Amino acid sequence: MIICSNCRHENVSGAVFCEECGAQLDGVETLVTQAITNEQIEEELRKKAPRPETDSAPANSWLSLHLMDSGKILPLASRNEFTLGRLSEGQPIMPDIDLTPYQAYASGVSRLHAVVKRDGSQVLVMDLGSSNGTYLNGRRLNPHMEEMLHHGDIVALGKLKIQILLRNI
Amino acid sequence: MMMSPLRPDYYALLGVSRNATVEEIKRAYFESAQRLHPDKNKAAGETELFLGVQQAYEVLSNPKRRTQYDATLPAAEQPPALPYEYRILYSRPSLVRLDEPQMLYVVLELRAPPEARKTTAPPLNVALVLDRSTSMQGEKLDVLKSAAIQVMRNLRPQDILSVITFSDRAEVIIPAAYHQERSRLEGRIHMIQPSGATEIYQGLEAGVKEVMRSLDSKRINHLILLTDGQTYGDEQQCLDLATRLAENAIGISCLGLGGDWNDIFLDVLSTRTGGSASHISDPQDIKRLLLEKFNALAQVFAEDINLEFKPVEGVDLSSVFRLQPDPSPVPTDGKPIHLGTILQDTSTRVLFEYIIQPKAVQSEKLAFMDGTLRVSISSNPLPVPPLRLALQRPVTDSPEADPPPPEVLHALSRLMLYRMQERARIEIEKGNIHTATRQLETLASNLLAQGERSLAQTVMLEVDFLQKQHALSDEGGKKMKYGTRALFLAPPKKEIVP
Repeated sequence: MIICSNCRHENVSGAVFCEECGAQLDGVETLVTQAITNEQIEEELRKKAPRPETDSAPANSWLSLHLMDSGKILPLASRNEFTLGRLSEGQPIMPDIDLTPYQAYASGVSRLHAVVKRDGSQVLVMDLGSSNGTYLNGRRLNPHMEEMLHHGDIVALGKLKIQILLRNI
Repeated sequence: MMMSPLRPDYYALLGVSRNATVEEIKRAYFESAQRLHPDKNKAAGETELFLGVQQAYEVLSNPKRRTQYDATLPAAEQPPALPYEYRILYSRPSLVRLDEPQMLYVVLELRAPPEARKTTAPPLNVALVLDRSTSMQGEKLDVLKSAAIQVMRNLRPQDILSVITFSDRAEVIIPAAYHQERSRLEGRIHMIQPSGATEIYQGLEAGVKEVMRSLDSKRINHLILLTDGQTYGDEQQCLDLATRLAENAIGISCLGLGGDWNDIFLDVLSTRTGGSASHISDPQDIKRLLLEKFNALAQVFAEDINLEFKPVEGVDLSSVFRLQPDPSPVPTDGKPIHLGTILQDTSTRVLFEYIIQPKAVQSEKLAFMDGTLRVSISSNPLPVPPLRLALQRPVTDSPEADPPPPEVLHALSRLMLYRMQERARIEIEKGNIHTATRQLETLASNLLAQGERSLAQTVMLEVDFLQKQHALSDEGGKKMKYGTRALFLAPPKKEIVP
């Protein structure tokens, strides 16, 4: 069988799309177990994302958000979970990270759009039922379902593109 | 026998393959003889053809003479020249030796040859069977009348049309004939008045009678049923009639108006004959859809595509879906399977889904399909040679990572969407509203991701309705079903990256 990497649903071998969530299955590769060493993964990651200057980041930041349109890098530290969105008047729950200065409104960012959190050594993203959706490397995420992030991944909140820079992974 | 300077090929005359069984030869002979019998057929040259068929049968039905005749043929059988083109695509190049079931998708594409696209398509013999029950009153019937009149004006002189209305009884408004004085007949359509209940069998039966009056294998014989309601108690009669129509290569298309008609019933009724059902949600669309239907019929190149196959141990043909034209699931319980028509300018694509059990993949290759495809092309004087579909795939130990061809991938991405709403329906039947809700929400986000905004919105409205009523709405449920089917025809709005 093929286990969908998106929702863990078990599909019959040879299926091309997951019958549960509709994600395209990686197909036959998952039929055989491949041994992947840490070196290979690191090599892949280095190829994927040349690390931009992160000198200014505080030493304990576990995640930095690279706002691709403005080039600004926001290092995040001290907490294990951050909600992303934009501030607007009369809003009962406020996002931890206000993206208003980065054209959030024009890019279609919801007031409470998505959350990034750290779970052990993993970093996860989850859409909070936003109007315009959260995309991971161009694929739209199902709301309220956690997805793993890797160094160099591009997360788009509506049209606002953010590159994920992870530390020590 | 002066068919050609060469000896006549008896096998080609009967339209059977060299290794045909006695039964196949007998059946082919009866079919040809019925079609070509001089009592029925006065077209020039056909009596000669009939005599040729007679002679071919006399030789081939006698084992001794058949052996003698076979000895005079060249050793290797030339593959018969087909008057149409075909192509077969697979979801993957090989099967894998696994100890669990695996799936394989096959797309069969049939196409008219380029020169056939310019010729005149066969004349029509169509019965338009219209619901005039009380519920049709008002806008629906008004638009329908004007659509029917437009259809009549668009007909070519060689076409035959009959118009039947039905409620709890049927009336022939316009009998099947060539129509010279069309303006006078328009008056009869204007006179249609709504009243009574919906009894589909009454309408169908009257429609069949009209089609039978000028039944001709040189014509496209077809019924178009338009209704907005449910029929009660006569479903089985209707389905039996459809089975008989399929045997006579008469197709049924159904157009369901609004939300109250029985989509499951009309799907079965039409697909049994190789036709399809469609949904009209806005009465203003009646005209456009009815004219589209007639235009498609007036472009038929080949009809009555039938597939017969022998079961293979450990191989299960789990579903068949016609991708174009008229996207529709195709019932696999019939023998043969009716796949519909080939239009002059649009290829016909059919998707086959196989589930293959471990015991079938023990050897080096698996012949998973041993079938015969028959089509009838009325412009072809000779019967079309059957196409032997002997499909096989090699079996390997390690899978190849090639992605499926783009056509297959596109079809499967659309089938996935259609299946999602079907799965949600099943969960609703079982009372699992929560599961169904989640499935429909996933469907909506997938539709959005493929750029289908309005359909996604329809699905979200159904999610709301489902929360409150624990069922799908009549109208929205049909929009969802036929909307996801129609996606098969749409080119991908967003590039699917293999």
